[in-house]
Amino acid sequence: MNIARQFLRRLVPMIAIVVIATFLLSLLMRLLPGDPAAIMVPNSPQEVRDQIAHETGLDRGLLGYYWKWLSGVLTGHFGKYYLNGGSREISTVIKDTLPITLLLILYAQIVALVIAIPLGLVSAYKEGKRFDKIASAVLFTTVSFPGFALALIFSLIFAVKLGWVDPIGYVHPTENFGEHIKLMILPVMSLALGLASGYTRLLRTDVIATLKDDYVTMAASKGISNRRVLWRHVFRPSSTTLLTSAALNMGGLIGGTIVIETIFVIPGIGFEIFYSIGARQIVAMQTLIALIAIGYVFFNTMVDLLTQITDPRTRERRA
Amino acid sequence: MPENSTPVIETPAEEPQVKKKRKSIGFYLASVWIFFVLFLATFGPWLPGPAWDESFYDSLGVSPFHHSHILGTTMDGYDMWAGLQHGARISIFVSLIAVLIGGSIGSFVGITAAYFRGKYDLIVTMIFNIMLSIPNLVLSLALLSVLAYSDEAHPASLARRVVVLIISLIIVIIPILGRIARGSALQWGSREFVLASKSMGSKNFFIIRKHILPNVAPAILAIGFLAVGSVIIVEGSLALLGIGIPGGASWGSMLANGRGNIEFSPHEVYLPALFIAFTVIAFNWFGDYVRVQLDKRESKI
Repeated sequence: MNIARQFLRRLVPMIAIVVIATFLLSLLMRLLPGDPAAIMVPNSPQEVRDQIAHETGLDRGLLGYYWKWLSGVLTGHFGKYYLNGGSREISTVIKDTLPITLLLILYAQIVALVIAIPLGLVSAYKEGKRFDKIASAVLFTTVSFPGFALALIFSLIFAVKLGWVDPIGYVHPTENFGEHIKLMILPVMSLALGLASGYTRLLRTDVIATLKDDYVTMAASKGISNRRVLWRHVFRPSSTTLLTSAALNMGGLIGGTIVIETIFVIPGIGFEIFYSIGARQIVAMQTLIALIAIGYVFFNTMVDLLTQITDPRTRERRA
Repeated sequence: MPENSTPVIETPAEEPQVKKKRKSIGFYLASVWIFFVLFLATFGPWLPGPAWDESFYDSLGVSPFHHSHILGTTMDGYDMWAGLQHGARISIFVSLIAVLIGGSIGSFVGITAAYFRGKYDLIVTMIFNIMLSIPNLVLSLALLSVLAYSDEAHPASLARRVVVLIISLIIVIIPILGRIARGSALQWGSREFVLASKSMGSKNFFIIRKHILPNVAPAILAIGFLAVGSVIIVEGSLALLGIGIPGGASWGSMLANGRGNIEFSPHEVYLPALFIAFTVIAFNWFGDYVRVQLDKRESKI
């Protein structure tokens, strides 16, 4: 009951934000100078343009266009790419590209957490010692190292100079899993290193605070081994912030993958946005950007809600 | 941060040591790099050396430490050092101007929203949330691809693209700094001295200027430095995607041009990449230093 009410209280502003944001995107697309249909398919006869304008609602006013787009998206008709030779459904493009991007993000998150959790725990445990100092300095540098600079330097070193992996390309995991992993290493590492640095710093701060709690001293004084105390008594309560931040990063990561996917030529949704901008596919651009925004808002709201359900402390504090 | 009270009590014993260390290494390195880059950006055109947009056909793609091209040339014969100098001008100034203007607008709106509350605050928060609901790279991508639209017959000029890029980045920056300013101003707006000033009959904008702004400014400044870093990243990303500044005029643009030649002249890639990375890292160090100073000041109160 309480959870349902909490959910409803967040649902209304969430929907409002999504509606206004997508409406503004429509407005933005209509600001383009000239005939939008002619922008999408430059060298086409007038009849084709008229038909496209009718199909997309571009022949109507702004509100009519937005309504046509919105009702289309709500009923699963995402619109089309209009190419000179014909058209391509955006929904099939999304079906093909979204899983690849999600996979990339998933790998990056896993790698980042695998690096961050032991590193964060150990540097918190050795707070102020040499290990912690070196780790902190290195992490502060890597956390702000731009992903695309990392991607280019990685592909320069590991693909061009050492020749360990191919600099670009993508293979489906079902086709050839080994090759798939091999090609994903560089893009995943470029995304994961910055994430891992952020996570480590977050976890370190939290663990240092938890280590000072009385029950940790109690557990240690009972003679429980350090490793066990660290994992069971310290890591568990400290991991909430880390996991929340990891979940909140999902939305932002979709933005970050655009450049990484373009550099490594991975056919994900980011690459698709890049392509649709280059090909001036107004409808596709609008739909893809709107989907990212919707996913981002939805995800953030869900995470916010979930943390309130799972962690009673945040619930009490807000009330 | 579940239990706030414990770390606050424990900190004084160890904080000074951490701060001292930060200032000695990271802070000085960051300051030196920022000074160096700002120097290049400001005095670049008056420094001796080849022009950035002149191609040297007798020396295409030479490696760094060449006798007449200290950092080498691109495959098209453009001098790398001159390019980086000119790139500093565009990359740094675009970011600084965007953050300065966007930050000022955002802070003004954020602070006034926190001060006056009510419907105005509600609308402002809503607008910020809408703008923040689209990841900043995606937002600037959408804005730029529409605002800098040009067909092949009439390509947009460099100046127009720079202006449009700055406007897009300003729009991206406004809600980021605006939200920080609003959050910080909310805390200070309910302090006793603001209430006292109000009861003495001070005008609203006098209170904002005299009592709230000086207290909110450090927080905005700290985030502002971080924002400069992220704007440089966005600029580079946009250039890499081919819709930023074209023709090797900025660091990101140099990267975009050099990417195809990565096998033959790797310095075309790693030099601008490192310049971008160092600058972003330096601004972040600087921002962090400002933030730590701010914490110190606040804990004294």
